[in-house]
Amino acid sequence: MSQWHPQPDQLVEFAAGTCHTGMSVAISVHLHYCPQCRAALSELESTSAVLFEQQAAVPVKDSAFDQLMQRIQQEPATKPEPTPVLSNRFPKALATLLPASLDELDWRQPMKNLRVSHLMTDESGMIIGLHHMKAGGRVPNHYHRGEEISVVLEGGFSDQLGSYGAGDFIMRTPSDTHSPRADAHEDCLMLSVVAAPVKLTGALGWLLNPFLKP
Amino acid sequence: MSAANVISILSSKKARTMTQTSQTADEWADLLEAVARRQDTKAFEALFKHFAPLIKAFALSSGLHSQGDHLPEELVQDVMLAIWRKSASYDRRKAAPSTWIFTIARNQRIDMLRRLNKYRADVSADAIWDLESDTELFGEIRQSRIQDKVKAGLYELPVDQRQVMAKVFLEDKSHQEVADEMKLPLGTVKSRVRLAMKKMKLSLEALDL
Ligand SMILES: [Zn+2]
Repeated sequence: MSQWHPQPDQLVEFAAGTCHTGMSVAISVHLHYCPQCRAALSELESTSAVLFEQQAAVPVKDSAFDQLMQRIQQEPATKPEPTPVLSNRFPKALATLLPASLDELDWRQPMKNLRVSHLMTDESGMIIGLHHMKAGGRVPNHYHRGEEISVVLEGGFSDQLGSYGAGDFIMRTPSDTHSPRADAHEDCLMLSVVAAPVKLTGALGWLLNPFLKP
Repeated sequence: MSAANVISILSSKKARTMTQTSQTADEWADLLEAVARRQDTKAFEALFKHFAPLIKAFALSSGLHSQGDHLPEELVQDVMLAIWRKSASYDRRKAAPSTWIFTIARNQRIDMLRRLNKYRADVSADAIWDLESDTELFGEIRQSRIQDKVKAGLYELPVDQRQVMAKVFLEDKSHQEVADEMKLPLGTVKSRVRLAMKKMKLSLEALDL
């Protein structure tokens, strides 16, 4: 079971459907691994449903039901969305963003031990991507200009604040610096949701933007 | 609809008498199953009569009408159509009928807003808020116990907490947006929600690791 979870208020926004797509995907992926958060979500949705039922009802148009039945009879049933190929390996929210094989993604290698791939940029400018660290590989010390969420998919890694395995939801704020190292025996694959490019704090102070187009 | 309206309903005596809904919840579940098994239009009409006006209220409290007068009615249509089509996947062991219907309304609202604002449609709400695979079989008893706890607990909450709950859960606003609107610090909004959940003896606090 996962050890690192979203904050309660992040789960509340997920239940209410008010967080941005990047955060929703990250939480959805975490939920796949975490029965504890799924139980909490179920309570939050029940809470929403009670508030929903206790609203003052607003009458709909008189023709609304007939119109709906006409639509049901006339509109062909929508075909179910095809099952993404990688949904046997990854949670659905992520699998729908992926091609049939990870090799088809446009991987960049900003430094030794780290490969990154961009999946989408959401409506709030958050970048959703995959990070892949080589077994035993260390990423140089860096901090973040904006918040960064990582959810471990395969393997594990550790940094100054802890060690993490599959399903763990790790959030870093701009003030945190860290230098993650992948577990020795297995490559580490992570979902990454970042607000802004990452800046290295090393002597050179050079910018690392894994998603920058050449 | 404003949060004030929601609150006046929450505290009215009429609402109190409407709380014996465990039987009603069973009836809604029976109707959903009739729609799934026999495409029973009478059962569907009964569901429509009860839930369509609630979905419209939800659309209005989410401010959909500000993006187009027709949108609240359109959301009603989209949600009821989705209920018709997904009824076979409703499982009364997993969710109370109103919870299942709320989650469909939430997902349809997200998809509608995404279409309106021309967000990239890379990922549909149903892929993220997956109604089918991510729920435990908690059992009907546990489900209705949670709803009963929430119903009872809501009446006991101080007004400021109830108001924040209604805004955060129904009005399509983040904690930050609620804080801005109510001119409260973000931390106050978050703590009111947490306190409310705690008072209702929901286990969200267990997540504070
Ligand atoms: Zn969790």
